[in-house]
Amino acid sequence: MSRNERGSLTGEQEIRYRRQLAIPEIGEKGQIRLGRATVMIVGLGGLGSVSSFYLAAAGVGSLRIVDHDTVSLDNLNRQLLHSTADLDRPKTESATEKLRSLNPECSVEPVRVRVAEDNGFNLAEGCDLLLDATDNLATRRVLNRISLARRIPLIYGGINGWNGSAATFVPGETGCLSCLFPSRDLGAPATGFPVVGPAAGVIGSIQSVEAIRILLGMKPALANRLLKFQGKSMKFRTIHVEKDPACPHCGPSREE
Amino acid sequence: MGRTIHITVNGMTEEVPENATLEFLIEHFREADPALIVELNGRYIYAREYSTTRVAENDRMELIHPDFGG
Repeated sequence: MSRNERGSLTGEQEIRYRRQLAIPEIGEKGQIRLGRATVMIVGLGGLGSVSSFYLAAAGVGSLRIVDHDTVSLDNLNRQLLHSTADLDRPKTESATEKLRSLNPECSVEPVRVRVAEDNGFNLAEGCDLLLDATDNLATRRVLNRISLARRIPLIYGGINGWNGSAATFVPGETGCLSCLFPSRDLGAPATGFPVVGPAAGVIGSIQSVEAIRILLGMKPALANRLLKFQGKSMKFRTIHVEKDPACPHCGPSREE
Repeated sequence: MGRTIHITVNGMTEEVPENATLEFLIEHFREADPALIVELNGRYIYAREYSTTRVAENDRMELIHPDFGG
């Protein structure tokens, strides 16, 4: 799709994307827009498995998929992109194979690194959207700084147990991740957190819907809102959240 | 406990001390979490306001714990 410079869809694309071309907000124009977009997905675990799969399927032109880890057996209750045959393979390698096989039109760019301050800013070069599929707050803070510095929207997602949360941060329009989670003592990595697999599917899917909305130029549905999914009681709740004028990251006295 | 009032916490009616601060109530309901999100009567409350924000009769308080696994 991204290679199609004629500005119209091929016959094959018209069939592949038929079910979404019929959606008024998408149509041919929206599909071409998706095909020209680049999304960086950080983390190819439970959340990233689902969002990268849906975005590749939807015809997003380029996916930069970032993860430093290899596939382990206890990933497989929720990380649907990887299978038993992929054990010990880098997640980027396993994911690239599946995504290319699903949609050869999607340009998949695997990057096997751990995102940190010193590499994150370059990684996001040319991206229209950042999708957070990480498993710890320290990396999310790095993504927030990249989002603010490069003015790229960030879609946060997280899961734990039966539950999950999601929110969207648009630099210059909404608060940032640090407005919502200002505490400094949240840096410990959440290794071995318990999780019901489908909770990752719910939140990864919500992030995918939000990503498609944003790429189409629609208003982000989770801007200034925190969506909380509670799988045990099967409830969704949303909380209205606000930009913190005193935020050291996005407020007037920002550190950046 | 001196005089008490009734407020709604995550949909449940609770009896709490009059003039209790959010900081006190978070501790009281054992909801302490550095990433806790608090909404009072539909308004988002910044963490730095927990110690100065007080509840009144019939207030609606929502406590949300965000998730950070992936």
